[in-house]
Formats: sequence, structure tokens, C-alpha cells
Amino acid sequence: MRAFLPGDRLKSLLTALGTHMDVVAPQLVEGAVVFASWKGQEIALQENSLLPPLEFLLPQRDVLFRYTQDSGRYSFVEPSAKFRLIFGIRSCDLCAVAALDKIFGSAPADHPYFDKRRSTVLVALNCTRPGENCFCSSSGSGPECQDLFDLLLTEIRDGYLAETGSPAGIMILKEHPDLFLDAQESHLAEKRDVLRNANSALPVREERSAANVRVAMEKADWDALGLQCLNCGSCTFVCPVCHCFSIFDAGVPDGERLRCRDTCLLSGFSRMAGGANPRISQGERLHNWYLDKFEYIPQKTGLAGCVGCGRCSRVCLAQMDRWSLEVGR
Amino acid sequence: MEKVHTTCIYCGCGCGLILHVEDGRVMGASPSPLHPMSRGRLCIKGWLAGEFVNHPDRLRHPLVRDGERFVRATWEEALSFTAASLKAIGQEFGADGVGVLTSAKGTNEENYLLMKLARAGLKTNNVDHVARLCHAPTVAALSYAFGSGAMTDSISSLARSDAILIVGSNTTEQHPLVASYILQARANGAKLIVVDPRKTQLAKLADLHLRPRPGTDIAWINALLHVIIRESLHDKEFIDARTDGFEAVRQAVSSCTPDWAGAISGIEKGDLEKAARIFGSAEKGAVVYAMGITQHTVGTDNVQALANLVLATGNIGREGTGLCPLRGHQNVQGACDMGALPDLYCGYQKVQLSRQRFEQAWGTELPDRPGLTALEMLSAAEEGKLRGLFIVGENPMMSYPDSGRVRKALDCLEFLAVCDIFPTETTELADVILPAASFAEKDGTFTSTERRIQRIRRALDPPGEARPEIEIASDLLQRLGVPADYASAAEVMEEISTLSAQYGGVHYDRLGVNGLQWPCPSRNHPGTGTLHAESFPIGRARFRAVEHREPHEMADGEYPLTLSTGRSLYHFHTGTMTRRTSLLDREVPTPVVDISPEDAKLLQIRGGQTVIVETRRGSIRLEARVTDSMPKGNIFVPIHFCEAPANALTAQTLDPQSKIPEYKVSAARIRRA
Repeated sequence: MRAFLPGDRLKSLLTALGTHMDVVAPQLVEGAVVFASWKGQEIALQENSLLPPLEFLLPQRDVLFRYTQDSGRYSFVEPSAKFRLIFGIRSCDLCAVAALDKIFGSAPADHPYFDKRRSTVLVALNCTRPGENCFCSSSGSGPECQDLFDLLLTEIRDGYLAETGSPAGIMILKEHPDLFLDAQESHLAEKRDVLRNANSALPVREERSAANVRVAMEKADWDALGLQCLNCGSCTFVCPVCHCFSIFDAGVPDGERLRCRDTCLLSGFSRMAGGANPRISQGERLHNWYLDKFEYIPQKTGLAGCVGCGRCSRVCLAQMDRWSLEVGR
Repeated sequence: MEKVHTTCIYCGCGCGLILHVEDGRVMGASPSPLHPMSRGRLCIKGWLAGEFVNHPDRLRHPLVRDGERFVRATWEEALSFTAASLKAIGQEFGADGVGVLTSAKGTNEENYLLMKLARAGLKTNNVDHVARLCHAPTVAALSYAFGSGAMTDSISSLARSDAILIVGSNTTEQHPLVASYILQARANGAKLIVVDPRKTQLAKLADLHLRPRPGTDIAWINALLHVIIRESLHDKEFIDARTDGFEAVRQAVSSCTPDWAGAISGIEKGDLEKAARIFGSAEKGAVVYAMGITQHTVGTDNVQALANLVLATGNIGREGTGLCPLRGHQNVQGACDMGALPDLYCGYQKVQLSRQRFEQAWGTELPDRPGLTALEMLSAAEEGKLRGLFIVGENPMMSYPDSGRVRKALDCLEFLAVCDIFPTETTELADVILPAASFAEKDGTFTSTERRIQRIRRALDPPGEARPEIEIASDLLQRLGVPADYASAAEVMEEISTLSAQYGGVHYDRLGVNGLQWPCPSRNHPGTGTLHAESFPIGRARFRAVEHREPHEMADGEYPLTLSTGRSLYHFHTGTMTRRTSLLDREVPTPVVDISPEDAKLLQIRGGQTVIVETRRGSIRLEARVTDSMPKGNIFVPIHFCEAPANALTAQTLDPQSKIPEYKVSAARIRRA
């Protein structure tokens, strides 16, 4: 199903949707685009956010359950997932959701993830304004969204072309007939134009294709790279495909079991209880991160472990060349 | 989920941080993409900076001691008891019978009000804070040399240096964002010289790594200057045009040959000459230093020696040059700026010279004699001269040297009130515990090591009945008869800006993501990135000749090793916040003493073995880690762990000028447990 949403009606649509769910939309905080609960702020579509909206499916800190002790017996309460709509998720991040669905879906399925996933509506946005670090076209994950969205918007002149991808998307169109207009052939032509422009705006970065990164990995001097790494973990925290976590209990005797985003770049991540560590050096840990993205995830899921969003280059404290893996001076 | 822009709570870098808040809890944190310094990047502590906020251990209610235990009290009870006790002690023993220790973790506004509380409320200049234990020598030495005791350039300007001398700073661990700019300079071709007894990560990446014996910095710095002058690499034009006192320094260093310095410091003569040539011939040379320079009985002279070096080479007042003291706490610069110091009001105005100005502004009489420094207050407590103490956001039981003596001093007090966010080793000794709001639960400003004044914002409510210190200080001020009816932190800043020239143009409506770098004297002033570009606040900069003096305690037959203390990347100070952050606590869960392979072999110590480290003050029990990053004869203990408190070992021997204790050198011995 297709429809046209005039640009000045976007806020009305989000307001209407916000009456029965938490609408998350890109907005500005001190000039920077972030995904946060939308309460009427200006919507910021000029670039993708530094932190991917995956944080709403796999939060930095997530309460798995609360425990209360009474006379030596424990009782547990699991929080229920919020009914949520993410507006403006882009193709790179959608491809990451596809990978996470497979990873968390392999037996045994991860219930805290799927509780959130099932109660989240994804309103995607075709990426017509790629950022300077982006290379999704070289990694096959953009700029056009292929699937997994409930509703897909493309920013065209005077508004958005809306295309449905699931019953939830169809419901959005059907429930708001006053906001959507019929889509015209011209709208489709415009969509093709803006995507063609976006594609040509994206630099062709052959060196960043998975095949070439694998070649660079073979040649890389991991010890030297490890020596330059500043152990900040930023690349793992901004990567939309990274999903490692650890579980901690906070509070005695009553408290919460928390699942916290973790990073394989910390030595404690792979350290055994007895102190032995299979990945003892920072270079080995960095190598593992690459192996995970470019070997293990593709092998296990058949999907790319790197979606070409370029965020890890942007946040690297050591300003490493993440693709050529050459050791700078 | 809401996202609130604020400033990181950990080190002095002052990174922009976005807190993620949902249902009254901090769910995460992320970097601020447009922040002028951090530019969308954070270190591991920054990424995890919100986690301790919702920890179940948070103090939620005022507590008052009842014998051996604490009972819950109302704010009215706790505050009236605090005000009455401090007042009564003042009346009985004189106003200088009480003191206030403020917090480098607090905001500028809080530090200002606590400074006002001590001076206008309690009528004493006994007010100090943790800068006494970190950069007091910087304030003392650079105020003399340049007229301003702060980093002379912006952090990002380091990327444009040609040569960077990094002294006594484990920058990649303690100030990762500063390190990122140093590495950027290196990638651009800059030469790095690291001077540190330990082989740090930056030392491994440096062009030259010099490993002096701890406590011999003046010797090798003077030798660098000796070579620079001998080879005519000094900037005669700059020296003539903008400085005084060069001749005395030239004469003093004329005998400081590399041979002489090599014998004292253990650095090879050739390496010293190489370092002097690299730094002396750089077009833009910068010096970065931290606790390895200041925490000595010659701390002030150490800083002056570095000031002499940058002045002689004309490396100041231009981008990519300068002297960069790296501040440890996110607001230790601000706490100094606010005059939480016994001899200075806000804006570094001397108590003796500016008393009338503040008496007029605050409408009350003020004490005229400078007060006691932090450790002097504790000594006074031991002697019975100081009877009451109000400690805000500090944990002296862990952070001050010689914890045995600190304990004795605090036990001697008639009244101790402690305000903090978590129970600490110090709150255990208190008569009143006041629960404070954390950085995520209040408004205010922090001033980073590059003098950048930035906002923090209230993202959620404090737990239980906890309150921002601004409210606590205002309430106490009013109980002591000083009007303090501030509606907001912004209003306190308005008062600060009228009394402190550096902050004259600082108003909340101007503090966006870029903040403002002081000096910012007026509303239209854009702030100042590079200091001393045209002239120094004192007109001409001052050289001062300094001489090498040995540390207070040398390794000897009985205690053959030299102990230094310091930090780890994953923890912060006394660990109250980072040890309550799951990933950080997991990364470094237990204390270890670092020992060189040579010493370990000699003492038959294996890695992972439990050992006992002893000094003349005390002993601790912890695991040994054998590492070639330690030079022979030296051991290193981190300061974060209450189960093996490093400060049970250190001494209270002070630098006579700045009164900083010598944390970096203690004679120690180590044996298998």
C-alpha cells in the first residue's frame, strides 16, 4: 500500500500515534541528532544519529526483572516492554536489526530482546542524505530500505511517500485517512530520483567492502594496532550490529537483575574466573572484533556483520583507520 | 526516553555527555557529537558515566549519629544540628576552630556557596579542597610565573604541536581525550617525549622515553634547559620581550650538565641531549604534566622548572604550545576558580587584598587572616585547635596521605558533618551525614582543565530526600545569618560573575554546547582559548631558578623500594562511583601492586601471589603483578581500593610552598604474605 503524507502533517501523525505508544523520533540535543521520545520537538532528519536507534531494542542498561526477598523467599517481577514506535530508522540500522533478529532468534531465543522487538513499530526512512563516513552502498545495506520496516517513508518534495511493509504499517495508513493522500505516479518517480541522487552522493568505497577488509585483516599488525587502541569501547557501543552484554545484580536483598551492554574490547570480557584470558592483548581483542563482523556473523547468519554506517570511524578515540587497518605513525 | 545534554563527571577533560533518562532512571549515556573538545567521542568511563546514579547504595535521607549507629533524621534536624554545632564551636574556640572541605566533584555554584559559607557564615578562611592534593603547586607556581594557574591552551590545540613533552602523566589512562589529541599530533608528525619511571602506553608510542628515578625532576629539567641554552636553542627575542629573571636561571642551570643530571636521575646523558634538541628546536612545543610532577615535596619548584623551560623556548601564547597541567577531577579547576582555597577568594583574589570588596558584596564582616590548608586542618584537629569540620563530597579517609593519621585527626573532632552521594570511609566517622544530589540530578556548571565552563543539567530527581549541595549550603548560610535566597544555580552564577573578573561574562544563557573558556570578562567577550598571547596578567612572565632537592624519604636498607601511587584507567579516585559501575568494577576488580621482574625475582614473588607492602606508616595486603612497565627498585599501588588503601602507606610530608603531600615517593618494602 502506498500513500502520500504532506510534510506539514508529519507532526500531526506522530502526535496521533503518540496517544497510544511511545513515539521515538530523531531530534536535536545541543545541535546533534539523537533518537529520543518525541513530545512535539522539531524533527531532525538531516543526518543519522551517532548512537543507532537499536538502543531501544537492546538498551545500554535493561532491567530483566526485579527481585524482592520476604522471609527467605524471593519473588520476581518482569517489567513489560513498552509499546513503542521508532520513526526515522534508516536502511543501515534496519539491516542491523535483521542481523540481530537472527542472532537473538537462534535457539534459545532471547526473550527480553523479542519482547521489545515485537512491541516496536519500525517506521523507516530511505536515506536521502548520507553522512560523510557512510558507505552503505559498498556494503550492500543502503541507502534504500529493503524490508523489515512496518512503514517506509521517502522524503520527497512537499512531503513523504509512505509504503507499507507489514500489517502494522497498513494500520497506520488506515487509521489516519485524514492525514494521508493517495500516492501519485509522480511521487514514485520523485522517490526514484532522490534515491538515485543519494546513491551518487555516496562515495564508492571499495576498500571498505567486506572482501577488502578481510584482505586488510590478513595483513594487519594487530599488536601495533592494539598498542594504539585507547580501550574506550566506543566502536562497539555505536555499532548497530554489536550486541554483547553482561548480567549483573544490583541490590541486596532486594534489587534488580540488569543486563548491560558490554564490549569485547575490555580484557574483563573474555577473562575467565581463574584469571586466564584467551584474548590477552588488546590487539587480539581488536582482531576478534573484526573477525566477529567479517567472519563469524556472516557465517552464522548469512548477513553482513558490518552495515557501512561508518560510526566506528567517527568515534574511534585513537583515530585508527578502521578499514585499511594500516598502523599510522 | 529523554536525552539530556550535560558534562562528564570523571576527569578534567570535560567531555560533552548526553544522558539517557527513562522513568526517572539513567538508562545510558552517549557522547555529544558537536562538543568542541570531545567531538562525539568518550572514554570507557564516560560511556558508563550514568550507572552509579541509580545504585541502591545511594544515601537517601539525612542521618545523625546515635552512639555507634546512625538514625534517620529530618533535614530540619540535621541542618539545625549542623549549624548549631559549628556555631557553638566557633563561639567557644574562635571561628578558626572550624573548617570546610569543599568538593572538586561539586559544581562551581556549590563551591562558591560553600566558600561563602566558610567565610561569611562561619567567619573562617579555613576552606580548602582536593586541589591541595593535586594541583596546588600548579596554582602556586604558575600564578608566580605567568599570573594565572591554569592550562595555557586548549586541549585540541595539542594536535597542532610539533613536539610534546609528557611528564608524570599516564595520559592514555587518566585523560584519554587529551591522549587522543597527542596521538593526533603524533600522526601529524610531532615528536613525543615521555618522561615517566613507568613504561606507560604513551611511553611505548613515544619517540623518546626517559625513565628518571622518582623525585629527581628538577635535575633533568634543568639539564634540558642547560643543553638548550648551551646549543643556543632558546628564544632570545621572546625572553627579552616578555620575561624577567632569565639571567638568574641561566646561571643556575649552567652547572646542571647532562652528566650531573644523569647521575642523579639515572637518565642517559645522550637521551637528555636528544630530548633537549627535540624540544628546543620545535616550532611549537607543548608540555603536558600531571601528578607525577606536582605530588612531591618540591612540587611547586617542579612546575616552575617546567615553566622556565617553556618560557626559555618561547613556547607559550600560541596554538600548539604552552604548559598543560591536566586536572584530575571534572571541576577541580572550577573549585580553585571559586576560591575554595584558604588564601584566595573567587577569581584568585587574595584574602588580604580583596577582603573589603567581598565584605561589601556580601554585607558582612569577613576574617582577615588566610586559613589553613586541607592537611593543616587535619594537623590542627590532632592538636585540638580545630574542633569542627564540614566535609562536602570528599573522602579524606581514603584520599589523604597516611590514613592512620587522618583517622586520628577526624576522631579528635568534636563535630564532623559529611555530605556525599554514597556512604564512604569518611561518612562512617561523621556525626551528621547529609545526602547529596549527583551530577545527573542538579543544575550547575563545571570548569574543565582547559578552562571551559560548561553546564550540567538536572535530568532526574535525586533519590529519596537527597538535595543538591546548593540548597544545603544556602540553607546553612541562612541559619548562620547570611542572606542566601537563590532561586537557581543560574542566579548564583550571576553573583559569581560580578565578583570574579574571569567569569565576568559568564551567564547561563550563553552556555551552549561550546561553553565558555575563561577569561571571559564581559557579556560580549567570546572567551579565551589560548592564554598569554599578547601579554601575561602580571605583565612580564617570571623565571625563577630552582634547585634539585631529594625527596623526603629515600629508599634505604630497611625499606629498599620506592613506592608511587596513582590511578587506573577503569577507576576514579576512591572508587565510590566506578566500583559501583558494573563493567568498570569487573575490569579491575581487585588492587594489585606492580613490581618489576628483577625485584620480583630477587624477592621470590610470583605474579598473582598475595604480598604485603609496608612503609613506616602502615601496611596493606594485595596481589602482586609482575610487569616490565615498572623499573627496578620501584613499585606502584593504585589508590582506588579500600581493601588495600594506598594511603595507609603514604606520608604527610608537605611541599613547603603549596602544602601538597608527597604521594609519589615513599620508601617501602614488600614481602610474601
